[in-house]
Amino acid sequence: MREALFMGRLTAQATHEMQNILATIRETAGLMDDLLAMGGGQFVHAERFKQGLDVVAQQVGRGMELSEQLNYCAHAPEPSPAGCEVNEALRSLCVLYTRIAARHRVLLGLVPGRAGLHTDLRGMEVMDLAALALDCALPLLERDTDLRLVVQEQGGLPVVLLRGASFDDLCRRTEFLPLSDRARGLGVILRAGPDGQGLALTLPLARG
Amino acid sequence: MNKQDWKILLVDDEREFITTLAERLDLRGIATRVVFDGESALSAVAEEEPQVMILDVLMPGIKGLEVLERVKRTNPNVQVLLLTGHGSTRDGIEGMRLGAFDYMMKPLNIDTLIEKMESAIDYAEKAAKLGQ
Repeated sequence: MREALFMGRLTAQATHEMQNILATIRETAGLMDDLLAMGGGQFVHAERFKQGLDVVAQQVGRGMELSEQLNYCAHAPEPSPAGCEVNEALRSLCVLYTRIAARHRVLLGLVPGRAGLHTDLRGMEVMDLAALALDCALPLLERDTDLRLVVQEQGGLPVVLLRGASFDDLCRRTEFLPLSDRARGLGVILRAGPDGQGLALTLPLARG
Repeated sequence: MNKQDWKILLVDDEREFITTLAERLDLRGIATRVVFDGESALSAVAEEEPQVMILDVLMPGIKGLEVLERVKRTNPNVQVLLLTGHGSTRDGIEGMRLGAFDYMMKPLNIDTLIEKMESAIDYAEKAAKLGQ
């Protein structure tokens, strides 16, 4: 855990720097846009130039999203008396796991549950557990599957649902054993999802 | 009050960022003074009180929240807009508790920034009238 906290500290500093870099790029692109608008149509390539600035703005937005989720990740090993907010942890995982899912030609997303739904686990533990479940499911899914991690509250407890493959097929995967071991170790109930489809992870409630 | 008459102080150690922001505000008719650290910010406030200070939270040396606290003690009429990052939203909330007018996350939307500056100046003017 000490190593995870150390790496988290370094990553948090780096994401802060990345954020400053992106803010400077955005401001500079904004200045170029301002100057272009003031040019009164004198510049022959104004339209193409404007398109280029729009691309810069879009890419800065993309970088900000990544940097924000990476920053969440950096703080995810830290313990918090209030526990971790389940939607935030899974949103971060979904953004950072996009490329891994894309390798399986799967589009990954999150259907968040009630805002403020907390578990006693650390953010890192929720992300790790959900990532193990994704590793288990991704190879089983058909191309272009739209896979959603769904957060729900059942009987007052936070539940994460992963659909898309049958529970029996998931159980046969070699990745299932480390997933069930990890779930047990964290006090998480792992069972089949509704109608035997996918799986459901019931997380321990935050004590705070 | 006309934008040309606003007194704005910008404080951030990210020189390229803050000088570019100053240039963009200047193109919109808003003159600003720029400093790059907390100590210079305190001197600038002592020399000529701004109406609004745009203040980065995370700076080397005197941190943004300490600058805010000291300015609010000596020059309570200065309205402070804090600049925070995604890792420092807690600082923004803490800043509000210490008397900041508002906080904004980087990167900024310049139109939103100008709207907030305008609100801060309106608030300062109303507060000054009530105090008279």
